[in-house]
Amino acid sequence: MKEAIVRGSGLVASLAYGALVLWIYTNQPQTIAQVSGGLTSMVGVYAIDQPSFDDGLRFFRGDQFPEARAAFARADRAERDARTQFYIAYACYRQGWGRLYSDDTLFKDGLAAVDRAIALAPNGRLVVDDPNLQMHSADELRAELQRGVTVEASDFNPLRVFRKRK
Amino acid sequence: MSPVREAIVLPLMLLTAALLASAQPGTPLAPLAFIPPSPYSLVLATLVVAALVRSGALDPARLMHGSRPILANANGAVVLASLLAAAAAVLSMITPESGLPRFFVALFLPVLLINTLVAGPDRVRLLRSLAVILGAGVVIKFVILAGLSEPATSATGRVLVALFDAATFGAIAQHPQPGSAGYLAVASAALFLAAAALLPPPRPPSTTALAMHRVEA
Repeated sequence: MKEAIVRGSGLVASLAYGALVLWIYTNQPQTIAQVSGGLTSMVGVYAIDQPSFDDGLRFFRGDQFPEARAAFARADRAERDARTQFYIAYACYRQGWGRLYSDDTLFKDGLAAVDRAIALAPNGRLVVDDPNLQMHSADELRAELQRGVTVEASDFNPLRVFRKRK
Repeated sequence: MSPVREAIVLPLMLLTAALLASAQPGTPLAPLAFIPPSPYSLVLATLVVAALVRSGALDPARLMHGSRPILANANGAVVLASLLAAAAAVLSMITPESGLPRFFVALFLPVLLINTLVAGPDRVRLLRSLAVILGAGVVIKFVILAGLSEPATSATGRVLVALFDAATFGAIAQHPQPGSAGYLAVASAALFLAAAALLPPPRPPSTTALAMHRVEA
């Protein structure tokens, strides 16, 4: 009886450890927070730090984008929450947007964040109901960020200076 | 072999060896990357497992056999799968990333393993041989090549590194690696060898069987 318990628990532990190794190969976590966040989200118990998220939202609405990104990153250390990643991408977009040109570095960071948001959202569909935003879906935001880092003929249109930030 | 060793100790050691061997700190793309073993290293790993079986370091029948209970066979299957994964990861780890060193190591590693396989060493000699192969691989990749590839601190050093790189057409130098990569490599190779030493060897023939053998003779 004791041997069966040892063998059974060993089998479960080995399979769980093997699954962890495969998960690490697939997800390539870079920090302990990403490992713990990934594992807790796998079992559906991952939660963001709500006070930090609220701070981030307040900074975001006050156009304090670097502060907003720092607060959002603190709220979602494991980068496993689609909505927070969406706001990080939106903060990159709003800070990097310019009438004449966009900040490519910020837009690329935004693209990476919105890609994470899309990957985390159920079926890749993410819609954020926030009346302060002009783009509510991750697809719109991604397209806007993609346009910002792509050089195309419309970039040389002088009427471009009259466009508005979304 | 005790159930604790078969069900807990060996899988834990082998999977940890696989994880440590695949951890690569300081890659160009990320501060820490986990590189799964290549298909080629899986082929080499089967040679290692075959050599372990032929030398008597591992008796697969003591891990999986029709006379064993299902749970025990499941434990044995996990040990065998972990052994294959760990061997592949460790062999992948000692293979240099690029250039001529990668070519030569990829060429000579199977030759060494096949040579070990056909020589038919006993358990102790095979484990010694594996220790030499893995140790040499670690020294070549993490000491010699890392030393040739690390950024020079002085102007003279930079000139010498640049001259060496130009003389070898950039075919020798590898990506610079942090010191922790070498420690991880040594730890994973040692863990793999320790696990290989703990694998169940064939049972010694019983005295009754020996006596029957003598009577038949």
